[in-house]
Amino acid sequence: MKNIDSLFAAYMAAWAIFFVFYLTVALRTAAIRRDLDRLKNSVARGK
Amino acid sequence: MMKNVLAAVAVFLLLGAAAYASFFIAPTDAKQGLIYRILFLHVASAWTGLTAFFICFIANLLYVWRRQPRWDWLGVSAAEVGLAFTTVVLVTGPIWAHPVWGIWWTWSPRLTSTFVLWLLYVVYLMLRTLVEEPDRRALFSALFGIFAFIDVPLVFGSIRWWRDQHPQPVVMGEPGSGMDPIMYKVLFFSWFAMLALMTLLLRQRYKLEAMRSDLETMQHELEEA
Amino acid sequence: MSLLPNTAVLLGKELRTEFRSRELLTTTIVFILIVIVLFSFTFDPTSDESRRFAPGLLWLAFLFAASLMLQPCFLREQHNDTLSALRLSVSDPFAIFLAKLAANTLFLLLTELFLLPFFAIMYNVPIVPVLHWLILVFFLASLGISIAGTALSAISAQARMRELLLPLLMLPLLTPILVASTEVTKALFDRAPFVQWKGIAFLAGFDLVFLTALWLFGEYLLEE
Repeated sequence: MKNIDSLFAAYMAAWAIFFVFYLTVALRTAAIRRDLDRLKNSVARGK
Repeated sequence: MMKNVLAAVAVFLLLGAAAYASFFIAPTDAKQGLIYRILFLHVASAWTGLTAFFICFIANLLYVWRRQPRWDWLGVSAAEVGLAFTTVVLVTGPIWAHPVWGIWWTWSPRLTSTFVLWLLYVVYLMLRTLVEEPDRRALFSALFGIFAFIDVPLVFGSIRWWRDQHPQPVVMGEPGSGMDPIMYKVLFFSWFAMLALMTLLLRQRYKLEAMRSDLETMQHELEEA
Repeated sequence: MSLLPNTAVLLGKELRTEFRSRELLTTTIVFILIVIVLFSFTFDPTSDESRRFAPGLLWLAFLFAASLMLQPCFLREQHNDTLSALRLSVSDPFAIFLAKLAANTLFLLLTELFLLPFFAIMYNVPIVPVLHWLILVFFLASLGISIAGTALSAISAQARMRELLLPLLMLPLLTPILVASTEVTKALFDRAPFVQWKGIAFLAGFDLVFLTALWLFGEYLLEE
C-alpha cells in the first residue's frame, strides 16, 4: 500500500477543483439571478 | 429540476464506477506499484480538457460564421470547463511525480504542453475581460480562440520533438509506452465518465452565460429608455 | 489580381513611415542589448555555458522585443483613426495584413542581424561559418512571429491594457517558434555545427499554418 496517500491526495485534489468550479458557477448564477430579479422589479415599479 | 438532479446522480455514479475500475480492475504496475493509478485520473482529465477546448474551437468558428450569441456563450463555457480539467492535470502531475521520482515538477512533454495550453486559455479568458463591447468581445475572443486551438498541435508537436532532443528520465505513463489492454479499457472508461462530468459542468456554465447576457441586454435597454 | 499591387503600395507606406524616424528599430535594438546584458548576470558567461544557453537567450530576447515592437502596428492606425481609410483604400483587407507583416518581418530581421555580431562576441559563439543558415532561421522565425504578432496586435489595439495584452496574447502562442528556433540555432552554434532540417521544416510549417489562418480570418479582425 505504498503511496496510497499520494493517490488519495490526487483524487481529493481533482474533486476539490471540480467542486470549486461548480461552486463558482452556482454562486455567479445566484448573483445574476438576484440582479435580474432586482431589475425586473424596478421595471415593474417604474411602469 | 428533477432532471438536473438525476443527471448529476448519473454522472457521480459513472465517476464512482471509473474510480472503482481504476483501483480494483486495472492490473498492478510492476515499476510504480499503486501510484500509477493516478494515470486514469491524470490522462483522462487531459483528454477531457482537450475535448472541451475542441468544443470551444467549434463554437468559435460558428460564432465567426453565424454571429449568434449562443456560440459565444458555448465558447466561453467550454474554455472555462476545459481550464478546470487542465488544472487537474497540472495538479495531479506533481502529486504523481513526487513520490516516484522525488521531484515536484517534471518538464515531461505532456505536462509542459499542458502548461502552455493552460496559459493560452487563461489568456483567452483575460482577453474577454479587457474588451468591453459585447459583440467585439465575442468576435475577438472567437478569433483568438481559433488561433489558440490551431496552435495546440504545434505546441504539443514542437515540445515532443524538443523532448526527443533532450530525453527526460521521467515517463509519466504516455499511452504509447506499452500499456496493458485492460489498462486501456479502464482509461477509456475513465475518459467517458469525465466527458459526462464535462457535459454537466458545461450545461451549468452555459446557462449562467445565457442569463448574464439577458441581464446585459436588459441593462442596456434600460439605459436607452 | 489587385492583392499584390495593393500590398506593395501599403508596404511602401509602412517602410517609409518607419525609415523616416527609425524610432521603432532603434528602441528595439537598444532593448535587446539591455536584455542580452542582463542575461549575462544570470549564468557564468564562460565559453561552454554560453554555448549551451546562448541560443535560448537569443530567441527569448527576440520574442520579448517583438512583443513590444509590434504594439504600434495597429495602435498607430487607432490613434490617427486611419484604419477605416485603409480599409476603404483596398479591395482585399488581406493586403493590409500582408503589407504590415512584411514590414514587421523586415524590421525584426534587420534588428536581429544587426545584433548578431554583438551577441557572437559577447557570448563567444562562432557565427561566420553558419551565417547563411542563421539568416534562414532568423527569416523563418521572424516571419512566424510577425504573422501572429500582426494579427494579435489588431486585437490588442482595441482592448484595454493593450501594452500588457499583446505580450500575453503572443508569447504562449509563439512557444513552438521559440522551441524550434532554439533547437536549430543550438545545432548551428555547436562545436560541430549541423543543420536541424526538422526544425527548419517545422518553422516553415508554422508560418504556412498561421498565414493561412490570417488569410481566412483576417478580414474579421478589421471589422468596424
